Amino acid sequence: MDDQACPRCKTTKYRNPSLKLMVNICGHALCESCVDLLFLKGSGSCPECNVPLRRSNFRVQLFEDSMVEKEIDIRKRVLKDFNKKEEDFATLREYNDYLEEIETIIFNLVNNIDIVGTNKRIEQYKKDNKEVIMKNKAKIGREEFELEEILEIEKQMEELRRAEILKMEEEAKKQKIREKEALIDELMFAEGDAKDILNTFAQTVANKQEDIVPVLPKVTQFSTGVKFTRGSGQQPVPVIEEGPLYRYEPPESPDRCGPDPPSIEEICNNGYLQHVRAENETEKAAGYSSTLPCLRALQDALSGLYHAS
Amino acid sequence: MFSTSSQRKFWTFSDETELASHREKHNLEFIAKHGHHIEEYQRYNFFLSPEEERLLLKQYELHLKEFCKRFMPPMPKGVVGTAFHYFKRFYLYNSTMDYHPKEILATCVYLACKVEEFNVSINQFVANIKGDREKASDIILNNELLLMQQLNYHLTIHNPFRPVEGFLIDIKTRCSLANPERLRGGIDEFLEKVFLTDGCLLYAPSQIALAAVLHAASKEQENLDSYVTDMLFHDAGSDKLATLIEAVRKIRSMVKMVESPARERVRVIEKKLDRCRNQENNPDSEIYKRRMREALDEDDMLQTGSGRMSLDTSGITQVLSPSAS
Repeated sequence: MDDQACPRCKTTKYRNPSLKLMVNICGHALCESCVDLLFLKGSGSCPECNVPLRRSNFRVQLFEDSMVEKEIDIRKRVLKDFNKKEEDFATLREYNDYLEEIETIIFNLVNNIDIVGTNKRIEQYKKDNKEVIMKNKAKIGREEFELEEILEIEKQMEELRRAEILKMEEEAKKQKIREKEALIDELMFAEGDAKDILNTFAQTVANKQEDIVPVLPKVTQFSTGVKFTRGSGQQPVPVIEEGPLYRYEPPESPDRCGPDPPSIEEICNNGYLQHVRAENETEKAAGYSSTLPCLRALQDALSGLYHAS
Repeated sequence: MFSTSSQRKFWTFSDETELASHREKHNLEFIAKHGHHIEEYQRYNFFLSPEEERLLLKQYELHLKEFCKRFMPPMPKGVVGTAFHYFKRFYLYNSTMDYHPKEILATCVYLACKVEEFNVSINQFVANIKGDREKASDIILNNELLLMQQLNYHLTIHNPFRPVEGFLIDIKTRCSLANPERLRGGIDEFLEKVFLTDGCLLYAPSQIALAAVLHAASKEQENLDSYVTDMLFHDAGSDKLATLIEAVRKIRSMVKMVESPARERVRVIEKKLDRCRNQENNPDSEIYKRRMREALDEDDMLQTGSGRMSLDTSGITQVLSPSAS
C-alpha cells in the first residue's frame, strides 16, 4: 500500500502518512486535500474522466484497486432496484437467469460497455417491476427493523445482567463488613480464647464461600439474541451408541506339527544368537535384527517334524 | 510355515504307490486320447510306458541339476530346490509325451528364479542355453503360464535348506557336538541327491533336513540320536518319534538307491518320444506353428479393433464452459 499515490497532486503514502484516498462513483481516486480543493463548491467533474461528481459521494477508498470500489458502488445502486428474491420466481432456472442479468448489467457499467443501452434496460426494468420493487423494499425495511429490535432486546438483557452482578457484589461487600463487625464484637465481649474465636470465624467464612455458587440464569438464546429453538430445520445431534470396547486377543498360533520352537526371549537369553551372523551397523539402522531370522530358521526346522504320511 | 502350507495340503503324498498311480493315470489318459488308431496290445510299442517315462524323467532331473550347477550367474540353492519341486509336480499330472521334459525343465528353472527372487532377465537366462536362444525364450515364455496353471498356482515351496540352518543353530546351542560346521559337506551332498528322489513329494522339508543332518553326522562318526530323542522329541509321544525315525530311515534309503539311468536305454526312449509326442505341443511341428500363427492373427485383429475404438473419442465436440463465451 506504500505506493499509493494521488493521481492529481502525486503525493504518496510515504511522503504523507496521513494520506487518504477518496473515491467516487466513477472509480477514480483522489486524495483528501485534492477533493477539498476541487470540490469546494460541492460539485465538480472528475479530473480524469470529466464525469460530473458530487462531493457528498466521495468516500474513503477501502480496496487498493479503485475499480473494485467502483464496482461496489454500481452494485449497490443496481441491487437497490433489482431486489427480487428467489421466492419471486417460479423456477430456479428463472431465478438464475435473473441473477445472470444483474451480473451482466453490473459488468457492463463497470467496464463502460454500452452504458446507454444498459441504463435504458435498468429504466425499463424499473418501470416494469415498480410494484415488486416497492414491495421488496418494504420487506427489506421490515427485516432490518426486526433485526434492530433483536439488538435492542439484547442490549436490555445485557443491562439487566450487569445490574444484577453489581447488586450481588454490593451484597457480598455488606456481608463482609457485617461479619467483621461481628468478629470484633465477639472479641470484645466473649470470654473464650481469642485464637479459638478467630478460628471459628474463619471456618464459617470458608463454609459460606463454598455455599455461594453464583446461580446463572438459564441460557435460552445465543449471544446474538437468536433463540435456541428458532430454527425449525435444526435437528438434535444424534447420540452415537457405543458398543463394548475393543479388546486385543492374540491370534491363535497355527498347528506347527512339530516341537515348539523357543520364544524370542529364549533366543536372546539362551545363546542362540551366538551362532548366527550378527547384524551390522547399517542393517541395525534399517531396523533389521538377527533375532527374527534365527527364530524363522528354528521354526522351519521344527515345523513338520511330526508330519506323518 | 510348512504345517499350514499348500505344499503339505496338496503336494505331500502318503507313499510312492500314490505317486505311481497318478503318473500311470496320466500316461493312460494320453494314450487313450491319442492312440485310438493303434491296437491295444501294440500300444506300448509306439507310446512310452509309465516305467519308461519315469526313467526319462530321472535323466532329465540329472540334466536339471547340471543346468543349475552351470548356470551363470550362480544361483542360490533355494532356486534349484524350487525348480525340482515344480518339475516333479508338473509331471505328476502330465505325461512326458504331452509336454517334452526339456522344455518344461527350462520353464521350471525360469519360474523358480522368479519365485525365489533370483533376478535374471529372460535374455540373461537363455544365455545359459545352447542352441537357438530366441526359440528357447519363446518356448519358456509360452510354457510359463501353463506351468503355473498345472501347479495350481501353488508357487511357494518349502525347501529343506532353511531347516538345515535351524538344526545347525539348535545343535550348536544345545548340543556338545564338536564343530558342527564340518557336517555341511555331507548335508549338501545328501540334499543334492534327495532332489533326485521322490522324497520331497512324500516328506516334510524339516524331516528331510533332519535326515541330511543325521546322515552327515554318521558319516563323520558322530551320533546325534540323543539330540533327537532327548531334545527334539522330549515332550512328544513315542509314536511320533517312531514315525520320524521311519521317515528318516526311508529318506536315507531312497537317497542310497539313487542311480543314473543307463544311457543307452534313455537314448532309445528319447527316439521313441520324438515319434509319439503330442505334435500340437512340439514347437518344431507344422501344426504348432500354424496354431501360433492363428493366435497371433487373432491378437492383431483385437488390436486393430481397439485402435478403431480409440479413434472414436476424437469425434466428441469439446464442451465449452458458460464463461468461455
